[in-house]
Amino acid sequence: MTGALLLATILLLLFVALLFLFIGRVRIGHEPMLRRISAFEALKGFTGRAVETGRPLHLSLGMGGVANETTADTLAGLSVLNYLAEQAAVTGVHPTVSMADPTAMLVAQNALKAAHGGDVQRTEAAYRNVRWIAPQPAAYAAGVMSLLNVDNVETNVMVGSFGDEYLLMGEAAVRQGTLHIGGTSDPNTLPFIYASAQETLLGEEIYAAGAYLQKQPAHLGSLLAQDTMRWIVALIILVGVVMASLG
Amino acid sequence: MSIRIGRVLATVVAIVVGLLVLADLFVSQWPNSFGGFSQIINVTGALLVSWAAIVIAFALFLGFANVISVHWTRIRSQKPGTIYSGILLLSLVGTLIVGFYSGGPNSYGSQLVFDFVLQPLEATFFALLAIFIAAAAFRAFRIRDLETFFFVLFAVIVLLGQVPLGIYLWPELPVIKDWILNVPTLAGVRGILLGVALGTIATGLRILIGADRPYTD
Repeated sequence: MTGALLLATILLLLFVALLFLFIGRVRIGHEPMLRRISAFEALKGFTGRAVETGRPLHLSLGMGGVANETTADTLAGLSVLNYLAEQAAVTGVHPTVSMADPTAMLVAQNALKAAHGGDVQRTEAAYRNVRWIAPQPAAYAAGVMSLLNVDNVETNVMVGSFGDEYLLMGEAAVRQGTLHIGGTSDPNTLPFIYASAQETLLGEEIYAAGAYLQKQPAHLGSLLAQDTMRWIVALIILVGVVMASLG
Repeated sequence: MSIRIGRVLATVVAIVVGLLVLADLFVSQWPNSFGGFSQIINVTGALLVSWAAIVIAFALFLGFANVISVHWTRIRSQKPGTIYSGILLLSLVGTLIVGFYSGGPNSYGSQLVFDFVLQPLEATFFALLAIFIAAAAFRAFRIRDLETFFFVLFAVIVLLGQVPLGIYLWPELPVIKDWILNVPTLAGVRGILLGVALGTIATGLRILIGADRPYTD
């Protein structure tokens, strides 16, 4: 057993313990104060805008699926979908949801079904707006660009795993005059988001969607555990730097 | 009642499968520490991962059905863009026919479609990226506040430092460019990656302990 692996195991177990601790604390009423993230604030008004203008709201879950290394990013996009689907259950305006990976399509349909409870008609209407476009980045980008243009989308949200193809879609949204929020975890794609989106979710901010939009105890608790772990890791790095400097 | 049992069952399956695959990751790092138990975990982990591949293949089939359904509905309701939906469905059927009659995805006919239709189209489409980057940069380089001022300043230094002209303008420019890329940029990227890693672990753990269940309705 190497030292690095032992440390990783200890940190993982510590993370699990913190997760249980903070989720428990949130469940008994210790709700944390969260810093303001303007993208989530803007997102809250998007469904209202779609209702007022009668034009659709588009959510892109990106290139990722739920059976590979992009799963966390896709689940972050699905947290946004959960929120939009809950709003749709009230307003009756269903978001258009697109994705490149068919496994993400199945989970997205499941999220819509959950939001509409047992209402079969509304669930079917919501399903009609779920679009699997294509697994290749260029084909997916072309499909989304066409969707933004042909469907005359009012508001565009892109949260998930994206590569260079993001800019093709982001620029299409800019040219269309669409209100646009973008977020991903890949540092190479972040400049494209910064340059094209009105509101941005940079890096780990996308994982906070469930905590900010729905105030779910599990998400709030994990956000607190994440922050605590960040301090611990930063401390370990600092101690490592000092020890290395002292020889 | 049956729905509740279904939810509980799905949660139990998800937790057990998740823990087994995670255990496989750790056990394979220490093969001699767990004796015969490690082999059982390894075999089970590999089996579960191969099942995931079958699920993905089936999901692809459902995605295919979704494409047909969306575009067929569009054609029937005569929505804007009907012509594109028609072309898409025709291309889909055409590619399927070529695939079936020429002997599968690795056949000569299918390769022709990929090499002479799909790949040139993808390459052409991605070539647009250069123009889009220029347009996005033009918009992003407008100085509105202190943040955008530093954004533009660093971008100009890096741009000039990358091209041969930069060294003639000021010999120190490539050195400053390297410092910007290797110190503040790298520090920022590492900070983002650290946060992303913690966020990814937190997302995985939430599912592993059953606190987050995107697989149930």
